[in-house]
Amino acid sequence: MQVPVLQVESLRVNFRTDLGVVPAVRGLSYTVPKGKVVAVVGESGSGKTVQALSILNLLPPAARVESGKILYQGKNLLALKPKALRQIRGRKIAMIFQDPGASLNPVLTIGEQLCETLCAHQKISKQTARLRAVELLTQVGIQEAEKRLDEYPFQFSGGMCQRVMIAMALALHPELLIADEPTTALDVTVQAQILKLIKDLQRKNGMSVIFITHNLAVAAQVADEVLVLYAGQCMEQAPAADLFKNPLHPYTQGLLSSLASVRQKVEKLPAIAGNPPRPGEVLPGCPFAPRCPQALKKCFESCPPLYENGSRRTRCFLQEGK
Amino acid sequence: MRFILRRLCLLPLVVLGVTFLLFFLTQRLSPEMRASLYVKDPRQMGALEEVIREYGLRDNVFKQYGRWLKNVAHGDLGYSPSANMPVAQALKKYLPATIQLAFVTMILVVFFGVWFGAASAVHKDKWQDNLARFISVGGFSLPIFVLGLILLMVFYGQLHWFAPGGYSIQTDIIIHGGEFKTYTGFLLIDSLLNGQWRVFGDVFSHLILPALTLCIGSFALMVRVMRSSMLEELGKDYVRTARAKGLPEYQVIYKHAGKNAIIPVITLAGIQFVRLLGGTVIVETIFDYPGIGRFGVLAAQQLDIAGILGFSLLVAVLFVFGNLLCDLLYTAVDPRIRLE
Repeated sequence: MQVPVLQVESLRVNFRTDLGVVPAVRGLSYTVPKGKVVAVVGESGSGKTVQALSILNLLPPAARVESGKILYQGKNLLALKPKALRQIRGRKIAMIFQDPGASLNPVLTIGEQLCETLCAHQKISKQTARLRAVELLTQVGIQEAEKRLDEYPFQFSGGMCQRVMIAMALALHPELLIADEPTTALDVTVQAQILKLIKDLQRKNGMSVIFITHNLAVAAQVADEVLVLYAGQCMEQAPAADLFKNPLHPYTQGLLSSLASVRQKVEKLPAIAGNPPRPGEVLPGCPFAPRCPQALKKCFESCPPLYENGSRRTRCFLQEGK
Repeated sequence: MRFILRRLCLLPLVVLGVTFLLFFLTQRLSPEMRASLYVKDPRQMGALEEVIREYGLRDNVFKQYGRWLKNVAHGDLGYSPSANMPVAQALKKYLPATIQLAFVTMILVVFFGVWFGAASAVHKDKWQDNLARFISVGGFSLPIFVLGLILLMVFYGQLHWFAPGGYSIQTDIIIHGGEFKTYTGFLLIDSLLNGQWRVFGDVFSHLILPALTLCIGSFALMVRVMRSSMLEELGKDYVRTARAKGLPEYQVIYKHAGKNAIIPVITLAGIQFVRLLGGTVIVETIFDYPGIGRFGVLAAQQLDIAGILGFSLLVAVLFVFGNLLCDLLYTAVDPRIRLE
């Protein structure tokens, strides 16, 4: 049994909107093993970003954690006082975001933003922090780091900004990195470089990563373990190799068959018919049932539990008793 | 650098435009009316014709304007009967007091406006926000002349704390006593340079009521702008990044969001400062404050054409330089403008 770095237990997050309470995450549980990459995959609105933001309590004001626990080193992060949580943010658990350009402060230099992270958690002089910042930028593949420290984010390209974000996140050797769609806003070639960089640094530092993406191909490149989210619930969790070779849940099967492949030539990519439930719409049965080609009658009546089978968990009645 | 030059090219255009417009308007008055102010004795009406002939008041408007411009170029703005001294000297005498007043007002406005606005945004919909909203709406809807008169009634009429005028008689005696050296023309600065603490205190206490009156109207707008700007910035991604890095909340708010939120405030402060320099007319009149606003009003009331032209020339120049200063401040805060 691997030692978990982070445990999420029956997490529920709701949004309060003008239309009433909208559940975004509905009883999500998973663990992140030490030194492993867990990919959280799902469509937009599946709750993948919201669950990640709740780990460090960075949810927008309209969202609220209703129940559940997020355990880190035996402490429930959701119950921590702001000061104690601040000690963990950036130092133990770091985060990078989807839009690197907007995630950096436009009026502060890159150096300032890097150094303040170091200074917030360590008692070091400005000069030492600057030297360390040069080191960090070099580590993420930015040339002439010394000079570039005095530049502003708008003088960097999107890929470069994401490298800066990574350097900032890894500055204090965190145990866990939460990467929220870090490559979505980037060109495909830059995407590959950034993925490689994250993977390399993860291996080198023995860090755990929660990698959030809507792109199964990206998940396949980086993940050890994959978690498929749909309408705020976990549909399937499995080691990456097993999941891609033999997906058990019809939703995962649908996702995989809709991927374009270089090897096979097809006229039209198959797609999953229908749409995910609207926000706030809670079905009595399985949320995927209306779109599921293999749905049974009972799928519409009650929601299946997660069936465990070895290292895999699947929320589907078809797995009952297997 | 290039845009400073571009802005300075604007200067002659604005100045020529404003003064020519005014010059043209004054031509609507007959030469006799324009000359009458310079003839003190009603028995010497013959002198009127002499003045008209001497100054060529019957000439074509362009010729007269050209003559005025030529004199301005030589530093001669004419004689102001309403102030009883040459216009240039009057402006030099009254401008520092107005700048002083505008400056103190802006310090109050920016300091409290930014502070209230930021607090209002950070504590959105809590009592801090409601208080700031109440004060700003109240200040905004209260006309300056009403507020000024109320303040004057309460703090001068009832409490005798602050008197109108620029300074007291005692101060006047010290300033004109020969010992007092004039370095800058700004009494607040000169009194300190002379080591005259009492003069400083006296001049400052005379500034308080007019500054407060001017402050309240501008303050309301400042709070609103700062609040909305801060709210917008607080919702941005980089604020989330700053929190995710584990920075203390005050750094997230003031260093990260604040530095971005202040940018529109600077523009507003610049505009308001320039407006105060030329437009403190009502307040200076209510408080009998010896600034250029009051000089302008007196000149206009007495048809002192040289005085009016001098006043508007000065305001136009101040306007262009004020805007330039504002743009320079802007670039100091926002690297995207500075470096592009």
